[in-house]
Amino acid sequence: MEAIDLAEARDRELVQGIRRRDEEAFRGLFGRYAPSAKSLAMRVVRQSHLAEEIVQEAFMALWRNPAAYDDQRGSVKSWLMGMVHHRAVDLVRREESYRRRAEKTAHQVMDLESDHADEVVEQIGLPDERRRVRAALDELPGPQREVLERMYFDGMSQSQISEATGLPLGTVKSRTLLGMRRLRAALIQEEP
Amino acid sequence: MIRDHAEIEELLAVRSLGGLDGDDVERLERGLASHGDCEECRRLADEYDETAGRLGFALEEMPVDPGQADEILRRASHPASQELAPAAPLAPVDELRARRSRRARAWPALVAAAAVAVVLVISAVAIFGSLGSTGIQASTDQTVVSFSGDAGELAMAYQPGKPGALFVGSDFTDPGSDKVYEIWMLQGETAVSGGCVRPHDGSIVVFVDADLADADRMAVTVEPDSCPSQPTSAPILISDPLVA
Repeated sequence: MEAIDLAEARDRELVQGIRRRDEEAFRGLFGRYAPSAKSLAMRVVRQSHLAEEIVQEAFMALWRNPAAYDDQRGSVKSWLMGMVHHRAVDLVRREESYRRRAEKTAHQVMDLESDHADEVVEQIGLPDERRRVRAALDELPGPQREVLERMYFDGMSQSQISEATGLPLGTVKSRTLLGMRRLRAALIQEEP
Repeated sequence: MIRDHAEIEELLAVRSLGGLDGDDVERLERGLASHGDCEECRRLADEYDETAGRLGFALEEMPVDPGQADEILRRASHPASQELAPAAPLAPVDELRARRSRRARAWPALVAAAAVAVVLVISAVAIFGSLGSTGIQASTDQTVVSFSGDAGELAMAYQPGKPGALFVGSDFTDPGSDKVYEIWMLQGETAVSGGCVRPHDGSIVVFVDADLADADRMAVTVEPDSCPSQPTSAPILISDPLVA
């Protein structure tokens, strides 16, 4: 908890700096989270140049309106990733064909990355957070995890998942809720 | 009507992951509205949003050029270079508004407005030197092309061989607080941004100071207000082929 609190305190300090138009603070937050943000955007939109645009848009929005972050509502890192995810999902919903065209290539990229994932995770930034989130996902029952991953990482809507899997819409929603309850408990209600 | 937090919680969980769609979007809005100032609703929404945001960290980081931070700062400090200002003369705007007030939406009227407007704007621009001292004259060699698509009505007037084009449009919906319409010059497979614009009362009157020499067609997309350098969505309007 101590390490996480310190990291979050640092992030909030950087946001405060951005509110004062401190460009170094902006560079600091960008350097800390842009690599994860790009990875998330890439996973959803599956095209590198679009992922980069999304990350730039999100950080541009942060620079232009840092007051949009409300520290009463959650962490800086989660808010930033939420902005990126929202933009990425919005993009794929409007332009499904982007993903279809690039899907094969992207899968190859993801496969290559996963080959190195375990060794790299120990060496790069935010390893504790990554381990915790991965562990929380691994703890989920398979059907719940599948629905969550399709929804979050593949950018699929509940209806699209229902159609793709043949599951009733109600089942998709209930599995989402159960999975998210478990994740919430693991990630934010039982933080070490 | 949602009567307790169970269903709201389910919908909030789906929403936090970006999965909410269909009737459930409105259902959640109605449910939250029916709860009024609901602390439990806010707590659930915040906690699920926080949880969802953390999921992104499960992925391996990807390398990002640190210079991008400076590029963002540069773009943010020069918004004028990313967004187009409305054309200087008020006459075309007034004319278009007058036309709208008369509910004259037919294409011939719009094209005529563009043709008249381009004379006024290009003349004004020439006078003020924005296009140099070549002294572009109002003449009959203007070309007006129309756009087709699923948005408002749009026409572009320009003089082949001369830089710049005037766009006159009507019946455009507000793209949203964080969205803009972006104008593109299409050169084969390449799209070059001509800048971004927001409609005012549904109207667009904007002069794009760009070289159209290599453009085959023009297009319009809806983009984030950062005015990206590459299109992130499919065109909503595409012009007829341009005359070289």
